[in-house]
Amino acid sequence: MLGFNKFLDWFSEIADHWDTKGVKFTLYTTIAVVIGGLFELIPPFFLTKTVTPISTVKPYSALELAGRDTYQKEGCIGCHTQMVRPFKWEVDRFDPTKAYGRTGYSKGGEYVYDHPFLWGSKRTGPDLAHESQMLRSDEWHKNHLINPRTVGGVPNSIMPAYPWLFEESHKVDVEQVVSNMKALKAIGVPYTEEDFANAPSLLKDKTEGEALVAYLQKLGKDSAELQKGMK
Amino acid sequence: MATEKTQYDDFIVKGFIISALVWGVASMTFGVIIAFQLVYPQLNFELPWTSFGRLRPLHTNAAIFGFALSVIFATAYHTVQRLCRTRMWNDTLSKIHLALYNLTIVLAAITLPLGYSQSKEYAELEWPIDLLIVVWYVIFFANYLMTVIKRKEEQMYVAIWFYIASFVTVPLLFIVNNIVIPAGFLKSYSVYAGVFDANIQWWYGHNAVAFVLTTPFLGLMYYYLPKHIKQPIYSHRLSIIHFWSLIFIYIWAGPHHLLYSPIPEWLQTTGMVFSIMLWMPSWGGMLNGFLTLTQAKDKIKVDATLKMMLAAVTFYGMSTFEGPLLSIRAVSALGHNTDWIIGHVHSGTLGWVGFMSAAALYYLVPRLWNANLYSEKLANAHFWLGTLGILLYIISMWVSGITEGSMWRAVGENGELVYKDWVEIVEFLKPFRLFRAIGGTLYLTGIVLMVYNFIKTIQNKDSGFVEQDLRIGVKS
Repeated sequence: MLGFNKFLDWFSEIADHWDTKGVKFTLYTTIAVVIGGLFELIPPFFLTKTVTPISTVKPYSALELAGRDTYQKEGCIGCHTQMVRPFKWEVDRFDPTKAYGRTGYSKGGEYVYDHPFLWGSKRTGPDLAHESQMLRSDEWHKNHLINPRTVGGVPNSIMPAYPWLFEESHKVDVEQVVSNMKALKAIGVPYTEEDFANAPSLLKDKTEGEALVAYLQKLGKDSAELQKGMK
Repeated sequence: MATEKTQYDDFIVKGFIISALVWGVASMTFGVIIAFQLVYPQLNFELPWTSFGRLRPLHTNAAIFGFALSVIFATAYHTVQRLCRTRMWNDTLSKIHLALYNLTIVLAAITLPLGYSQSKEYAELEWPIDLLIVVWYVIFFANYLMTVIKRKEEQMYVAIWFYIASFVTVPLLFIVNNIVIPAGFLKSYSVYAGVFDANIQWWYGHNAVAFVLTTPFLGLMYYYLPKHIKQPIYSHRLSIIHFWSLIFIYIWAGPHHLLYSPIPEWLQTTGMVFSIMLWMPSWGGMLNGFLTLTQAKDKIKVDATLKMMLAAVTFYGMSTFEGPLLSIRAVSALGHNTDWIIGHVHSGTLGWVGFMSAAALYYLVPRLWNANLYSEKLANAHFWLGTLGILLYIISMWVSGITEGSMWRAVGENGELVYKDWVEIVEFLKPFRLFRAIGGTLYLTGIVLMVYNFIKTIQNKDSGFVEQDLRIGVKS
């Protein structure tokens, strides 16, 4: 312990000089902070193995993207996670049909087109990463969103009701969605000119609620298909 | 010759104190509302701008960036002038900072309930508001650093170190995490995707805890605690050691939010190891605070401000013990995503940040407005309501979180989930969540008492402030 004490003495003595030099002090502080930051942020970008692309995972369609925007807008992330951890109890709960087999936890490759990621940090409601595999109908989702506590929904749910999402006044803004897709293309999501051209017909007369349902039905679908194909 | 009074710019300190009071009450009111919404969903009123998903970011943003930051700026302006024995470098810049800062919070309070959100926790604000933040931040930081540079006191006291560390790190985190591609005036997407976005977000998210909710408040403790009791800090050497190790280690801890996620294994392990190491510098700060406080221990009974400091340091020690514990993989497996985390965060925010802020405000308001505190009894009531509120809050969240985590993982003999029905678990947790909401209400009541106490104090302004002497053996 004597060596450590000497080290502390030495360090506090030199550090004592720094606090008479404002600029130098600020510089050293910044360096101390930057080291950890760089170490954590930079390497993952160069490690290709970090995210193995999953061939079947496709970018969100115009309607699904509009639904994802709605998901963000309503703050669904506050109560729902989108990341299944590699535990039996989580896999069993969030993939009861065993569409993924035993490895039904979340993989990095499932999220390659997620700007931003929506894993969330609080699971007040169930995880939604593989919601499509719960095999609920669009109609169920619609009723559940309009009022989670009605017949067919979940009587004791504490989820807020979202009746406005299906109102006429909440039609999807087609132009906005197309410009959203173009912005995403600029940062690497492989949308094509054809996707932009098809968007208006996909979105025609759709409400934000219908888009949200489409998004929920897309979650986990692509990677589940890959699993099924491998069987 | 300039007198002590005209030497320093106190207008700016008062401005930020009032901001803190306004945003403090607002953020905690929203906190209480959303806590009740989690028990009684009818309170969402089926309206877009009153639903939980939109109010929750409003609560966190108002609390962290409205309340805590206001306190940080008020105390930064107050301490830097005194510790450097010089007036702020430029008063106009200070005023612009105050105005633009409050404009930002107002814009946040409008856009978040309207659903404009980047969906990254504590970085929800859309890009035009982010740019506005950068503008006033640069204004503030230039002003602060110039004041430090032209100081008349050679030695920079430890409080300044903590403020500087916070002020250089926050923009770094904020800018890197908020790089987005705009897709419209109030719509943007993070340029990072999936796993990378998660990694950067939690590097930011955890360090918002570190460099907004911890280091500035340690700086504040290092100034107001010794000032209030008129005794020096216990150990200068401990200050040096725990400062440098704290700022060096904290920044590595982010990945403990992503244990068992698809981010690289080595990154998760690094995050976990550094989180555990963080326990030592955190307790270094706590012990320095505690040991300083013991120099006035016989006055704790009579002085509400001192009580709050003691409780704040205790909650700091407690939540910085709980943090490393929760970052251990096995504990995270149980606690992650549950109410336990909410409880952990609130023992830090309500206990450490909230009480330390209140203590600083109780110190500042009578001095700045030159009037004795209207009622020491009300301050005492605030302390007890707050403490009871925090305890109700964190204990109910511990019970709820651990229950929740255990019910999720309960597997029967045949390997099937015991609680398949999610709502069954939600039902079971309702009473605990109700207690949490009640705890929050008590805490809010305490804050309202404090504001009332300050309004009454300010009404007596310039009636003359008489300082209490809290040193051991000095009769008060």
